[in-house]
Amino acid sequence: MIEAQATADMMLMTEGFSPAQSSDEPIEVGLVRDVLAGEHDRFARLYEMYAPMVHGVLLARVPRDEVGDLVQDVFLHALRKLHTLRNATAFGPWIAMIARNRAMDFYRGSRETVELTEQVAVQKPPSRTASEVLGMIRELPEAYRETLVLRFVEQMTGPEIAARTGLTPASVRVNLHRGVKLLRQRMGVLEAQP
Amino acid sequence: MNDKYLWDRSGEPDPEIQQLEELLGTLRYEPQPLEIPAHFQITRRRSFYPPLAIAASLLFFAVAIGLWINFSRRPTAVASNPPGTQQPAIAVPTATQTSTPSQRRPENAANAPATPKPFTPRPRLVLASYKQPKLSARPPKLTPEELALKEQVLLALRLTSTKLNVAQRSVQGAPVSNTIRNQHKIG
Repeated sequence: MIEAQATADMMLMTEGFSPAQSSDEPIEVGLVRDVLAGEHDRFARLYEMYAPMVHGVLLARVPRDEVGDLVQDVFLHALRKLHTLRNATAFGPWIAMIARNRAMDFYRGSRETVELTEQVAVQKPPSRTASEVLGMIRELPEAYRETLVLRFVEQMTGPEIAARTGLTPASVRVNLHRGVKLLRQRMGVLEAQP
Repeated sequence: MNDKYLWDRSGEPDPEIQQLEELLGTLRYEPQPLEIPAHFQITRRRSFYPPLAIAASLLFFAVAIGLWINFSRRPTAVASNPPGTQQPAIAVPTATQTSTPSQRRPENAANAPATPKPFTPRPRLVLASYKQPKLSARPPKLTPEELALKEQVLLALRLTSTKLNVAQRSVQGAPVSNTIRNQHKIG
C-alpha cells in the first residue's frame, strides 16, 4: 500500500516531464492559465504536483509539526498572488521562494522555542531516529539542506529537484555530493569507513 | 559512494544512501487536500486596457466623424465660388428661387443643364469646427495728399528725435555717436 502510494506520488512528480505532456509547453503553464481564467479547481493539480517540494523546503527550515500548516499557507498565498507570476514556467521556483520566505517569517514571529537541556538530551534513545538525522541536516549549510531533504525525505531524484526548484542540475549534483559528504562526517560514518 | 545512485537512483544501489532514504522517508509528505477557506478571495489582475481602449476608440471615432463632416462641406463651398466671382458663399433665395427643387428641376434641365448648382447651406451638424479669429479693422486707405502729409510729419518727428538725442548726449558728456554705424566697411 505504501509502495503503491509512493509509486503514485512518483508518477505524479514525474508526470510533468513525460514526453506525452511536454510537447509544447510545461503542464504548469496551462494550469496557471486556467486558474487565472477562473478555474480555481485546477489549482488543486498544481498543489498535488508541488506540495512535496514545498514540504521539503519547509522541512529543511522549520519544526516538523509546523510544516503541514505552513504548506497550506504557502499554497493559499500562491493562489492569492498567482496573478503576479509573470512567467508561468517558473511556477516551481516561484513557490519555492514563497516557501523559503514563509519559513523566515516563521522565525521572525514571537514564537517560543524550547532549548535542548542536558536532561532532555540524556533521555534520547541511543539509535539514530529520523528526526535526529533531520536535525543534523538542518545544521548543514543552507545550500545543502534543501537538496538533501528533497532527495532523502521527499525521495525526489536530482533531475526532479532541479526541475522543481529551478536550480541547475549541476548545482543540485554538487549540493547532493557535498551535502552527503558533510552529513556523513556529522554522523560519524566517515570515521567508520576504512 | 555511488554518485549515480545518489543522483537519479540508477546503477548499483548504495546501502548508506538507501539507509538514509528509508530512515528519512518516514518524514515524507503525506498528501492532504488543500483547504481553501470559504471567505478566501483571489486577487484578480487589474486590467486597465479594455476601458482605455474603449475610451480611445470612442474619442477617435468622434474626432474622425467631426473632421469628415467638416471637410466634406468645405469643397462644395469652394467649388461654388470660383476665384474672380463675387458670389456670396451663402446664396440668398430670390423670388424666382422660392420654388422647391422638384419644381425647378425641369426649368434648369431645359436652360442650362451643365451649370453648377448654387451653394445652398444645409443645416450643419458639426462636432468640431475651426473659426478664424477676427482680425483687427484695417485703417482706411489714404489719399495721395494725405500720404504726403503723413510723410512730412514722420520726417519732422524723426528730425526732432535725432536733435533731442544729440542734445541729451552733449549734456551727459558722451561723444556723439556715429550716425553711420552698423554698416559694413567698404574695401
